[in-house]
Amino acid sequence: MAVSTTSSVVLSANDRLVAGVFALLLGAFLVLGAGLANSAVLHDTAHDTRHSYGFPCH
Amino acid sequence: MIVRYLLAALVAGLFSGVLMTAAQEARVVPLILHAEEFEGEAAPAGEGTTPATSDGAATTQEHSSLGAVIFDVASALSPISVAYAHEGEDHEDGGIMFGMSRFSGTLLANLVTGTGFALLLAGFSLVSGNPITVANGALWGAAGWLAVHMLPAIGLPPELPGFPAADLTQRQIWWVATVALSAAGLYLLFLKPGILAKIVGVVLLAAPQVYGAPQPSDISSNVPAVLGAEFAVAALATTLFFWIVLGLSLGFANEKIAKAA
Repeated sequence: MAVSTTSSVVLSANDRLVAGVFALLLGAFLVLGAGLANSAVLHDTAHDTRHSYGFPCH
Repeated sequence: MIVRYLLAALVAGLFSGVLMTAAQEARVVPLILHAEEFEGEAAPAGEGTTPATSDGAATTQEHSSLGAVIFDVASALSPISVAYAHEGEDHEDGGIMFGMSRFSGTLLANLVTGTGFALLLAGFSLVSGNPITVANGALWGAAGWLAVHMLPAIGLPPELPGFPAADLTQRQIWWVATVALSAAGLYLLFLKPGILAKIVGVVLLAAPQVYGAPQPSDISSNVPAVLGAEFAVAALATTLFFWIVLGLSLGFANEKIAKAA
């Protein structure tokens, strides 16, 4: 078992779904928080990032 | 095992966020700063209907009151740059988190955004059952760029400060919907076999564009058009760079971290 190929399936289908859904939710939370959240402090902190990434801003 | 996949996304996202910050500082931020010099001025012709108008009027009024003098003194002492706070807009309790400099705020936001996009990309790959590797990472990145930046930019081009724009909430809804539909469309087009999947994929890609993005009723602006054109290209080019780096580094991290258990 010393050799592991990168194409081998490491996660079971169920674990893969759990990991994937969790990653999607956390990722969406971070992106929406930095990019779209309607908070003055978040807006000012992320201002240049929001414009650079083309998030709707102002 | 699940944690290792999330860790791989975290590493790739932070790495890409740092490189993106360098690219932004070189190509994008100078254009934003330049545009902000025009932002506060009144537009040459009837900008009266757009929400952004209050900028000019509010700034001039502020300087006549005692409160404004105190504000000026306080802002001179503050580490937060005033131009940045968009004085005159309707939010007043803004300012950069933790009193950081403008650059630190941008870096932090890029790290958060980079990690967020890395997790979204990794999650999409895990749920759809198509692993991201070094070999196909750049293609995953390019697809992410298409879904999140290029296709939404057809309706809502990257905007500089001071550009006229439609209602913010409506634009955000259109943007989120377009990203979601584009991602689903690209998945059907690239990863699902069968002619029907391709057709539905193209329909999903086209649907938000046919519906149309919210547009401002008045497009006059003080910001020079050349600046806007340079900015649109710079924003799309730097985000393409970000996504290629993200896809490659996520593929690398997947192979080194996630599967090295």
